[in-house]
Amino acid sequence: MNLLEGTRVVVIADGLTDLGGAMLAKLGADVTLFSETYKRGAAARLAWHHDMRPSADGETLESLLDSADILLDGRRCGGTHDDARDGRPALIHIVANVDNDRTLPATDLTLMAASGLMTVIGEPDRPPLRLPGEQAYALTGIQVATAALMGLRARRLTGEGQRIDVSATQSATLANYREAIMYDWTGRIGRRQGNKLVRGASGVRQVWPCADGFVTWSMIDNPAMMRALISVMADHNAAGELADIDWDAILVADTDQAVIDRWQGIVADFFAAHTKAELGAWSLDRGWGLSTISTLDEVRDSDHLAAREFWQDVPDGKGGTNRLPGPLFQCHAPPSEGTT
Amino acid sequence: MGALDRLRIADFSWVGAGPRATKDLADNGAEVIKIESRRRLDLGRRSPPFAKGDAKNPDASAFFAQTNTSKKSVTINLGDPRGAEIAKRLVAWSDVVVENFGPGYMERIGLGYPELCRVNPDVILASVSVAGRTGPMAGFRGYGNSAAAHSGHAAMSGWPGSEPHMPPFAYGDVVAPMFLTVAVLAALEHRDRTGKGLHVDVSQIEPMAHVIADLFAAPPAEKPANSDARMAPHGVYPCAGEDRWIAIAVEDERQWTALCDIIGGAHLVEDRRFATMGARKTNEAALDAEISALTATQDRVTLAKRLTTAGVPASPVLDGKDLAESEALKSAGHFVEVDHPVLGPSAMPAPPMRMEATPHAVGPSPCLGQHNAEVFGGILGMSAEDIATLERDGVLA
Repeated sequence: MNLLEGTRVVVIADGLTDLGGAMLAKLGADVTLFSETYKRGAAARLAWHHDMRPSADGETLESLLDSADILLDGRRCGGTHDDARDGRPALIHIVANVDNDRTLPATDLTLMAASGLMTVIGEPDRPPLRLPGEQAYALTGIQVATAALMGLRARRLTGEGQRIDVSATQSATLANYREAIMYDWTGRIGRRQGNKLVRGASGVRQVWPCADGFVTWSMIDNPAMMRALISVMADHNAAGELADIDWDAILVADTDQAVIDRWQGIVADFFAAHTKAELGAWSLDRGWGLSTISTLDEVRDSDHLAAREFWQDVPDGKGGTNRLPGPLFQCHAPPSEGTT
Repeated sequence: MGALDRLRIADFSWVGAGPRATKDLADNGAEVIKIESRRRLDLGRRSPPFAKGDAKNPDASAFFAQTNTSKKSVTINLGDPRGAEIAKRLVAWSDVVVENFGPGYMERIGLGYPELCRVNPDVILASVSVAGRTGPMAGFRGYGNSAAAHSGHAAMSGWPGSEPHMPPFAYGDVVAPMFLTVAVLAALEHRDRTGKGLHVDVSQIEPMAHVIADLFAAPPAEKPANSDARMAPHGVYPCAGEDRWIAIAVEDERQWTALCDIIGGAHLVEDRRFATMGARKTNEAALDAEISALTATQDRVTLAKRLTTAGVPASPVLDGKDLAESEALKSAGHFVEVDHPVLGPSAMPAPPMRMEATPHAVGPSPCLGQHNAEVFGGILGMSAEDIATLERDGVLA
């Protein structure tokens, strides 16, 4: 992918800027990793920095900036380069910080806590949980890449670069599209519900054991989807009373919880008797909306992702390779041309 | 001036994954025309919460309002060939076309990529779907949580030893649109330099895998939950009150000493089990129990303030009420008040960045078909009589 070919980027990596730099590199920009103020383990560095060029001996930030289009300036661990644009009016200076006006100490975990997301993740009787990986850093990193590209677009309009401040607190909080607005308009405060999806007066399961793992599917008000599932269950003499329900005439969200639990018991028995491969194939073919839950190894072995050439074998520095996510998305050239 | 002034978007997307991307573009100055239909209402308009609880009013959804700020709305029945032809005129006007329909829908209504290129040779088509437009799962019909299942997120979510966990929000509907925004902006940069359009095809699964690339680089034996591979303490600890918690992460010895001092745990500094980061990591369960006992009686907000002032990363675990009432978020410009004809003055989320020279400006989401006259008459040059006739015939509906 060479959409940003010729664009030069310098990165000061602190957790907040790493994914942003990685994304610009995957888009074809020439990305130099000047410094790492947040020392990560080798695996994480491989994950985020493998497409970046380490700065060479003798290269200073000043010398790199003289030919750069974009500086990704992570400030979570301190540091200041407020004069980066002095004498370089075309430079796009992205400053990533915990927030715009304060410099509070923060990590991915505390940013996630501030986002309001952790309150609804996990089990009701256990502490709030974060998402896997470092999602506050990731969300900020994507905004850093977005800011850089906005800056490039604006530079085409104005002829000048500019400083753009990206707030990690706001980046993480923006991902929480549901909780603040729900409180604003209903007064309801979301809490942890485990794997139950609560809508209306009742709750439905989201995660189900099957013969060789887990799948996700929910009994929601989608009559076509319900009929598609029950049709296959009926073929296997496993639909029970579900075969007699007019799904256009009922609202699951308003159905008594005991009834839903009884219905879900029939579905659970059916899922438990079949493998992920069987259930996934039926879902794809019949439109159930069911997804198989893949382990990391299974994701790496996915035929679908292989067909999309998603993975990239990255030298691990020990003579081997590590299979990591490659292109950010697919590009298709206009019909008369090849792939970009 | 906004960063994306003069950029024109024909937005056929609906619900969450497409509209969140076009919101980013619209808030930064792009002219985004949302093509909707009364006959196939955007499910976002049916999503709660609703102003005055009015679920039947297509303009009363606060969910829709916050996902579609700063856009215009027109109504076109794309199932009618005359509607599809009018849609093509908007394609000819646009720089970018955005869609997140089910597989094959754009082709069925005559708006597949080859046809768009015939109408507008350098147009950028931006598609987002659960599994992408190619590959064995290209026809998969799912929803935002499907991407969590297929990317490894669900398997790695939850407590160690527990079944996979699905939070009650679709993280794939958050991350994928952000990648779509990046894809659109990168494709524009490419077009500016080469004069050539592109079809960018974003799968929700792939961005979700990208944001856990560190887990793919070194797959953990168990779900990490709140723990960190190196840091300890690194967790969520109880505070005074019902479901009140504080998150604390200690990155170095200075922070450890400060933490012990502030929470009343001076004895912990002397405890050999916790003498180094490595020792604390080895004895993490005992460490967490000691800290929990000390935080359990303290106010989460006061404690977080004392810790951050001393340089220790900490935050109360906030909930929806805390966010909605946060003065810090308001003063940072995270929520801006926007006047909406049905919702009234409402808090809407703004981009999480401050652009010095080209600031964003968040406007209200459109009412359904609010801009029919402006777009069909002004941009497409249709006569008022033709518009009225097509509205009566159910084409502009």
